Amino acid sequence: MINPTVVDLSRLQFALTALYHFLFVPLTLGMTFILAAMETVYVITGKQIYKDMTQFWGKLFGINFAIGVATGLTMEFEFGTNWSMYSHFVGDVFGTPLAIEGLMAFFMESTFVGLMFFGWGRLSRGAHLAVTFLVALGSNLSALWILIANGFMQDPVGASFDPKTMRMQFRSFGALVFSPDAQAKFVHTTLAGFVTGAMFVMGVSAYYLLRKQHREFAARSFRMAALFGIISSLAVVTLGDALGRLDFLVQPTKLAAMEGIWHTSKPPYAPWKIFAIPDDKTQKDLFNVSIPYVLTPLVAHDFTSPIPGVDALEHSARAKVIKGIKAVVALKAYGATRNPAALAAFRANESDMGYGFLAQRYAPDQDLSKITVQNLPSIVQKAARDTIPNVFVEFWSFRLMVLLGFVFVVVFAFCAYYSLRNELEKHPLLLKAAAWAIPLPVLACEFGWITAENGRQPWTVFGWLPTFQSASSHDVGYMVFSLVGFAFLYSLFIAAELYLMFKFARLGPVQHITPTSHAPAFVQPVFGQPGFTDKSWANKSWQ
Amino acid sequence: MTNIIRILALAGVLALALMLAVVAGDFGPWYFAWLVGTTMIVLISTAGAVLFETQHASRDMIDEQSAPTEI
Repeated sequence: MINPTVVDLSRLQFALTALYHFLFVPLTLGMTFILAAMETVYVITGKQIYKDMTQFWGKLFGINFAIGVATGLTMEFEFGTNWSMYSHFVGDVFGTPLAIEGLMAFFMESTFVGLMFFGWGRLSRGAHLAVTFLVALGSNLSALWILIANGFMQDPVGASFDPKTMRMQFRSFGALVFSPDAQAKFVHTTLAGFVTGAMFVMGVSAYYLLRKQHREFAARSFRMAALFGIISSLAVVTLGDALGRLDFLVQPTKLAAMEGIWHTSKPPYAPWKIFAIPDDKTQKDLFNVSIPYVLTPLVAHDFTSPIPGVDALEHSARAKVIKGIKAVVALKAYGATRNPAALAAFRANESDMGYGFLAQRYAPDQDLSKITVQNLPSIVQKAARDTIPNVFVEFWSFRLMVLLGFVFVVVFAFCAYYSLRNELEKHPLLLKAAAWAIPLPVLACEFGWITAENGRQPWTVFGWLPTFQSASSHDVGYMVFSLVGFAFLYSLFIAAELYLMFKFARLGPVQHITPTSHAPAFVQPVFGQPGFTDKSWANKSWQ
Repeated sequence: MTNIIRILALAGVLALALMLAVVAGDFGPWYFAWLVGTTMIVLISTAGAVLFETQHASRDMIDEQSAPTEI
């Protein structure tokens, strides 16, 4: 028997560790390319101040990177400890991108991070720049493989279920890597990281400008971050639209929850809700403000496609649940007897197998063979209702993410405009807004992940394996103990990150700036061996 | 000799980039967009810094010209 409390605690633990981990990841993704851009200017112009900028922001990146890695490692183990049924079911497919991430991208990133920090003065300028770009590429490639794995959970392509081994078997590596969901999610997520990195650099620089400290340093950092951020934030919005359309095609239940669509309407009427208080119990809005005729072209990119509502999706799920029950019963019979007739019965209903697993929760003793004609309708109804994710959570996490996304476009646009006009210090309110906006992209990323993963419910592998069937069979005490332990440990990590970040950001780049800091520095040649004529680098403390 | 090796290495990088672009463009349009877009974001940010230096230099020049000269 599967204990629902253990499943809920396993979900809570994974959600907690993932959300904690993703407090660090976006900054790493974005900062690496900003550092690469700063160092590119140093190599092109030879101006010392850009080297100082790369090193100062690199130090803040280093703090975030170290703590981010520590929080990420445990998550891969959680698949084995807390989600062993899931790991058994899709391990062959899911394990591949995770292994590549560990072997290729993560090792590449870690190796070159060492060279980036300790290679100053030891590598030529060109070689060091190449190393910085490789760190950026490595960190983003890490994200790529993780998001390919996540893409499989959202849209399981490149694999099929094998009734002999009772798990998903790999069919096409290409289909997995080039899955439309993985592609769009990778670009959307990394660009959200770019926005986070840009907002961080811009916000801290704004803080210096407001305090009239390190003005030369801050104005340049601000300019670069603002331009980096404005393009990234526009691109994030574009990719958000692409992901919304993909959800319409592949995960209609997620889209219905995101937009709070209870009923299917005749196209192109579907209203777009600006504000609503959705009530999951009654499947109605307690209150809403909506604009008709907007959602159809917004999501479907045409005026004729109906946007299925919760009612229609639930109704269509009922037939799938009945077929799914037949598939699982036949699968069980085939597993016990290897009877070809049972295999044929399974094959006839295979595509809806996951819906049979979903019904198992409501079957007597969680045994589908005990379903009778009398209890079938109520089991089907409950399982079909389960196919709809929590609409309130989905609707609001999505809306907050989108709202923040547009706020970033506006903030970056004004900041880039006044930075290009060199009039930043005439607009202290804008500088204050930039400084206070530092945590907002991280929040938006968290809302984005809640949208993606809450919208995937009730599945771990969409349409194939319910979350309820995926967890390990621990006892409640074990789960509570490990959950409290993780919450405590990760809170310590966050406290350490915040303390170090505030400390070094407040200290500022003072030790890096020399009176001639914006004069050209010819310490290291672009190519070839570094020059050792100027030993000033050796006297600086970068730690 | 060094120049020839350098040219050959750059030609190799170019060929690899073209191959990557063709494969990514065919099978992964969003991956291709990411490669091009990220490069563009970095370059625009870099150009912004170079523009800053130019603005700075011209401002310094104007300040120098408008400063009173001693006779």
